[in-house]
Amino acid sequence: MTCKAHVAWAALACAASLLVACQRKEQDLRGGAAAGAPLRQPQVNTSVMDTTGLPPEGALARVAIGDLAGIGNNTLDADVRSPYAGDLAAIKEGQDLFVSMNCAACHSYDLKGGMGPDLTDTYWRYGGAPADIYKSIFEGRPQGMPAWGRALPQAMIWRIVAYIESKGGAFPGALADKARQGDLADQDTTSGSTLKGRNNVR
Amino acid sequence: MTSRAFTVAVGTIAAITLSACGTKENPGRKASVVAAGSASSAAGDVALPAMLNRDASWLPPDAGDGDWLMPSRDYGGTRYSPLAEITTGNADRLALAWTFDDGESHYGHEMTPLVANNTMYIVSPFPNRAYAIDLTEPGGALKWKYDPNPAPIAIGKACCDAVLRGAALYDGKLIYNLLDDHTIALDANTGKELWRTKMANVEDGTTMTMAPLVVDGKVYVGNSGGEMGVAGWLAALDVNTGKELWRAYSVGPDSMARIGDDFKPFYSWLKGKDLGATTWPANAWKHGAGAPWGWVTYDPERHWIYYGTSNTGPWNADQRPGLNLWTSGVFARKADDGMAQWAFVFTPHNEWDYDGVNENILVDLPINGTTRKVMVQFNRNGFAYTIDRLTGEVLVAKPFGHENWASGIDMKTGMPIVVPEKHTVPPGRWVRDICPADIGVKDFEPSAFSPRTGLFYVSVQNICMDYKGNVASYIAGTPYWGAQMTRHVGPGGNYGEFIAFDAAKGEQVWGIPEPFLTYSGALVTAGDVAFYGTVDGWFRAVDARTGKILWSRKLGSGIISAPMSYRGPDGHQYIAIATGVGGGAMTTSSQKGFPPRGSTYYVFTLAQNIPAVAPSAESGQGGGPKKQGGKP
Repeated sequence: MTCKAHVAWAALACAASLLVACQRKEQDLRGGAAAGAPLRQPQVNTSVMDTTGLPPEGALARVAIGDLAGIGNNTLDADVRSPYAGDLAAIKEGQDLFVSMNCAACHSYDLKGGMGPDLTDTYWRYGGAPADIYKSIFEGRPQGMPAWGRALPQAMIWRIVAYIESKGGAFPGALADKARQGDLADQDTTSGSTLKGRNNVR
Repeated sequence: MTSRAFTVAVGTIAAITLSACGTKENPGRKASVVAAGSASSAAGDVALPAMLNRDASWLPPDAGDGDWLMPSRDYGGTRYSPLAEITTGNADRLALAWTFDDGESHYGHEMTPLVANNTMYIVSPFPNRAYAIDLTEPGGALKWKYDPNPAPIAIGKACCDAVLRGAALYDGKLIYNLLDDHTIALDANTGKELWRTKMANVEDGTTMTMAPLVVDGKVYVGNSGGEMGVAGWLAALDVNTGKELWRAYSVGPDSMARIGDDFKPFYSWLKGKDLGATTWPANAWKHGAGAPWGWVTYDPERHWIYYGTSNTGPWNADQRPGLNLWTSGVFARKADDGMAQWAFVFTPHNEWDYDGVNENILVDLPINGTTRKVMVQFNRNGFAYTIDRLTGEVLVAKPFGHENWASGIDMKTGMPIVVPEKHTVPPGRWVRDICPADIGVKDFEPSAFSPRTGLFYVSVQNICMDYKGNVASYIAGTPYWGAQMTRHVGPGGNYGEFIAFDAAKGEQVWGIPEPFLTYSGALVTAGDVAFYGTVDGWFRAVDARTGKILWSRKLGSGIISAPMSYRGPDGHQYIAIATGVGGGAMTTSSQKGFPPRGSTYYVFTLAQNIPAVAPSAESGQGGGPKKQGGKP
């Protein structure tokens, strides 16, 4: 815990002298080996016997995406590039799917949201990189988004992703980490996606 | 804020609004304002004494005159309070008594607080929490709260915000619907859940947002989901066990619609066998909607219930040639067994999303010299229907706001005369400037009726649309919709108006134009004061006879709920209103100055009733008086 947090918790008691102590403690922690309580790490016994009867963990983790559509490569890296990003023919097909699968009825024909969230405003509850959007469509989300992985092959889902990206709210896969921390204000996001919705006055 | 600052602000608003009234190019309206104004000089003038003296069978059991046990207060749906401490003479001295916040500002607040036994009951939008507030404690102390934990998937299945329109108090129980299709009953004293009945599968796109009606031991509830390809139904549950007694569909063969030999619709086009199925292409009725998500009223003299059915599904009418019965209409049913007695359809083969779910207010009005037992509905389609509630005959049908899709109602058939260029079939092309827009000249926001003035008080929407039908595919759990639209303000540039309407003549008596949408319910009191709110957060008290604005207060968010009035433990009259814009009002959210969402409930009374006690922490209540006086 930082000194600032200490001050916040004990605002009334934390006098100037205590502040000095706080600062010293923070330095101690940074120094690591100096006096004071060492930073405690969680103790986890990883040698526990697996009696779950489930497949090994690695196998389970690989099932999540794409498997039901019969695709051999059934995991996605978080920074995967959207295969159809910028492909105008695929984007048009994605738009047609967006309407015919009733996506437009929830997210509106201009993707600005309605029953479902706005897909153009760069605010993503479940992530706005291609892998995140693909996963949201494939698996569904808890507040009403249906799971389309049961109905659509990945080649169609990726076309829908490309259409959503073309509307400007998504992040390129390479920026997934930065987007997760909200650090896209000064990024060039023109490679595959843009952030044109970001500064909308609403 | 001091009351003096208030008065100044209110005076300015009133002046602006009244001058706006005066500039309206409607001499008829101006003349009737004058007439109504002169009538108010006769103090205590009561238009309908018989209605004023309706017996206790029109109220839930044990309802005192200071109580409010159901959203419309009485079974006839009048939202009339017999309390008269607040009058046209003193309403300008209304002041804030206390507030409460339910914390659910993500979703719109469309409900009405209830009061019984010195306790206020509030139910929130999703996640549908319930609160009981002890009115005998300073500032209203929380007595209990209950979290029913509905399934979050319901949020994304609700077409128009995860709203809830209220609860009902009956026999010591607080009864309401959860968005995930469960009806629950709580012990009103403790908040303990007594029963929970699953009514539908939320994953299929059904939600529940309406407030139940409870009469003679039966709870009446209906579904929402007119945009999701549901089949509409109304069900009756046993109030003690939650067990379903019967369910009547708005579509399908007579066996599903609970239509039998005693079904006597007034018009010939509504007569025949299995019309709920045969007025559709094969099986289209199964996803034809007609969801009764609005209000249910009850006539204790006849033991019949009345409720409207939603829009027809999908919106793209090209996919469902036919009259599409019984959607966009109204049913009169026997309260006991649900058998239909008559039905009427306001907008047959609905091409514009004009739901029929608005409140059916049951009143007895003099029409052409004879007192008729009628129901009055201010329909989404822009016409105010005064219908003989025993036969289903339309007696009066006149516009109560701006509409241009129909040139009138054919009084021989009750059918609208559609303006040819406003048809949205064939689809695939933009049809410009259809008025009203999908949300109607009035949406669900409930009107009020005063037996003292004989007038209805109605929030009117002045909104139009450009509309394009699209082919919709039915995929369970997703919208079955098939329409694209953009909306714009109607003539005059004012999105809203609050009006007084004479339903016997089909005429507006006065109106107060509002720049923002008026999407709140109304309240009218025995003090001849009517209350309403605006989407930009103004809460107003007006003279029920003249439409003069007596008092206004800007609240924290827009108002889409309905106000109510109760007598506090101190014996004084209070007015309560929920704020929290959302729901269909979000169709105008791009209007400059549109407020953020909110979740605060405000309670007002006359300033002199609020004890002047210096703030103090000694009472353990964080300030304020120990008691408000009167009964503990």
